[in-house]
Amino acid sequence: MAPPSLWLVLLLVMPVVTMVLFTFRAGSFGQAAQQFTLNNYAAFLQNQPFQSLLARSAGVAAIVALLSVVLAYPVAYYLSFSAGSRRFTLLTLIIIPAWTSYLLRVLAWKIILGSGGVLNTVLASLGLAADLGSLFLYNRTAVIITLVYTWIPFVALPIYAALERIEPSLFEAARDLGARPWNAFLRVTLPLSLPGVIAGFLFVFIPTVGEYVTPALVGGPRGIMYGNLVQDQFLNALNWPMGSVMSLAMLLGVLLPILLFSRFVRLTELAGL
Amino acid sequence: MADEPTSAPEASGPLLVLEWSGYEATEYPQFFQPFADAYEGRMDEVIEYSFFAEDAEAYTKLQSGFEADVLHPCNSWWSLYVDSGLVQPIDTARLSNWDGVHPDLAAMGQFSGEQYFVPWEWGYDSIIVRNDLVTEMPTAWADLWNDAYAGHVSIWDNAETAFVMTALAQGLDPWNTTAEEQEQIKQALIELKANVLTYWADYTESYELPTTGDVWLLANAWQDAYAYIESEGYDVSYLQPEEGRLGWVCGYAISSTSNNLDLAYELLDAAIAPESMAALGNEYWYGFSNMDALPMVDEYVVDFMNLDEVDTLTDRTVFYRPLSEEQRSMMSSIWDEVKAAP
Amino acid sequence: MLRRVPWGGLYFLVLTAFLYAPILLLIVFSFNDSILLTFPLRGFTLRWYQALFEADALLGSVVNSLMVGVASSLVATVLGTMAAIGVVRFRFPGRDAFLALAGVPLVIPAIVLGVALLILFRQLVDVQLSLWTIGLGHVVINIPIAMLIVASRLIGFEDNLEEAAMDLGAGFWETQWRVTLPMSLPALLAAFLTCFTTSFDEYAMSVFLAGTDPTLPIYLYSQLRFPRRLPHVVTLTAVLMTLSIGVLFVAEWLRRSGERTSTAPEVTA
Repeated sequence: MAPPSLWLVLLLVMPVVTMVLFTFRAGSFGQAAQQFTLNNYAAFLQNQPFQSLLARSAGVAAIVALLSVVLAYPVAYYLSFSAGSRRFTLLTLIIIPAWTSYLLRVLAWKIILGSGGVLNTVLASLGLAADLGSLFLYNRTAVIITLVYTWIPFVALPIYAALERIEPSLFEAARDLGARPWNAFLRVTLPLSLPGVIAGFLFVFIPTVGEYVTPALVGGPRGIMYGNLVQDQFLNALNWPMGSVMSLAMLLGVLLPILLFSRFVRLTELAGL
Repeated sequence: MADEPTSAPEASGPLLVLEWSGYEATEYPQFFQPFADAYEGRMDEVIEYSFFAEDAEAYTKLQSGFEADVLHPCNSWWSLYVDSGLVQPIDTARLSNWDGVHPDLAAMGQFSGEQYFVPWEWGYDSIIVRNDLVTEMPTAWADLWNDAYAGHVSIWDNAETAFVMTALAQGLDPWNTTAEEQEQIKQALIELKANVLTYWADYTESYELPTTGDVWLLANAWQDAYAYIESEGYDVSYLQPEEGRLGWVCGYAISSTSNNLDLAYELLDAAIAPESMAALGNEYWYGFSNMDALPMVDEYVVDFMNLDEVDTLTDRTVFYRPLSEEQRSMMSSIWDEVKAAP
Repeated sequence: MLRRVPWGGLYFLVLTAFLYAPILLLIVFSFNDSILLTFPLRGFTLRWYQALFEADALLGSVVNSLMVGVASSLVATVLGTMAAIGVVRFRFPGRDAFLALAGVPLVIPAIVLGVALLILFRQLVDVQLSLWTIGLGHVVINIPIAMLIVASRLIGFEDNLEEAAMDLGAGFWETQWRVTLPMSLPALLAAFLTCFTTSFDEYAMSVFLAGTDPTLPIYLYSQLRFPRRLPHVVTLTAVLMTLSIGVLFVAEWLRRSGERTSTAPEVTA
């Protein structure tokens, strides 16, 4: 176990340590960077709009993760139990769109969701209100739809991986004991696939809090997420210390609820560890 | 154009240029014609590129230890580059085409009496208006706040531009603001949110948004976006606001860590050669710094950019000015608070 | 009656259509005689495809991305699998801390990782930026992903098979190699696929770690400054997608024929 641990320690610890060290710097480069200060923490703690944006973004991320998991589960289930020998091909089939540039796919979604776009044209021809222009684009809904679209294939993978380990003999046993299919699902399949579901949820939830590309492209002025501001600090404001504090806040804001949740729900036991 | 002996490439290796995509001499030799001619067939041996998409990205990379020979930042960053010691003064005597560079533009690249930047391309930043969709024609930057355009305005997601534009609209000096004026600007931008449909994030959006019909006023568009949209048949105009159009200029510099000076000067000299500059104007509809190129430029571009009136350029246009770190920080904070406001 | 409907398959079909809708739209636009991605369409043209074959730099960046993607995904999958095995099988002191540490790259924004690694590479270790540094960065991002996927498969794994193997004299790692991993192949492949997908489109971190050889996303994003180049990018996407699906179908066809020959029914006299 030693060599991989060493690798991990070097490559994983370094960025975290660097980031934490940044939070205490008075500036990003040169002279100022050498000075120690707690001002960045003070600035963030006093900044109520930033904090509430973090909370709102976490909310959006949770919704996106939940929707992704719910929509991806049937796909993973189908692949694992009904697809037979074609399963891996079909799995790759739904992954392939993710090999397109994310940016391009979002641009394409703008065409679909926009007021002159496909969706509205279809709805208009069905006789529904023509003023749907702003309903699906440049708002938080658009951000959620676009993000869920992007994440579904990613969530299907861990759920599929977890479903794969379930022994078919368990189903036979359940059937022999008289369980109906839906009950067998609820009491055998779902619990056993839970590690994959949780992995999938976390996959989506954690990075989405810091998401910035989609909100910038389809979110409009009200769909901005916390990640946009963090990115601004690093890129445009050249304020790495503040960006690091905000990242740290995000890290804690995301990990703490997970830790709390696991106190009550004993995630590790659920996961079988 | 001085005749360079076709000697072997510099012993210190190929020239490394930190460059925007779209100007690399290996794919666009016409923008550096003399250099391309001198090294034809050997370009890959003498020059290499690393790309960036935003000025801030380039600056961050350089400050984190990335080393290059030639840099290409835009002028609001120039003072920061000089103050951080990232660039070395340019010996204009080594540039045979230097005399053609317009003095007003050259002056922008001077700091503490030394020429640090060779201005290369410039352009306008103004508002594209859909004449066929607006009920009343706007005449000023301040009109962006007009209720008549609610939900049909788009501005650039850029702290500096938003700040400067709003300051102009409020009659303030963007580069000399008091704390109260900054608060005022912030509030104005928060109010503007009601009119904004979306903040456009990348340049391609600025080409598309006016064509969708949802955006009637697209602010911070460059002139080439306007020219293209008009050529596609849309009824648009490129505003000459009362407060004046904004202007930007970008240019080349030699990194302070570079030893590849011969090649660097060759490249810069080739960049400002008249035929290179003319190609730039004709292909990208950009302004350029060497006025000797004027006879070789298409009439359409000359008219549209008022290239024959460059002497009055700095009078009619409000060029972005170099920002200090504090100013940039201040503008970014304001912009972030505007964006975070619910 | 309801039971007859292949709900699973139907759902899969609808979802796949949903996933491919934007792709199909992009393919349509790759033939559009305009640089704008808006309706109405302006006319059919093949000039973007022609231009693509001359776009050496763009094609070069695709090759770079493939190399970086495959290499970094392999490394990340291996390391992530070892970490997963360690975490699921053993109860060692500091296990929870190790788990948290390995999961950290998921929580840190890519841009922070990029800047931090850039400083590590340039200021602390003085390594030149190249595809290698990008690859390392991708490995960092992908290890937690691989670990999570493989771990969710290993949990509750049939211990008795491993016990049997070890009773028969196989060492721990030999058992893993010959028993556990082959049976976990779907998870390993899923992990590899996910890592590759993440790497192939990674921009925010990569841009800080790139030298003179760009990956596809870096080249692409820098191109988006120029609306005139958008069609090249769209066309490239159309080509890549079609090629990938083509390769996939060929692989599937090969697999099926392989299956047929190996499961050919016994001829009864």
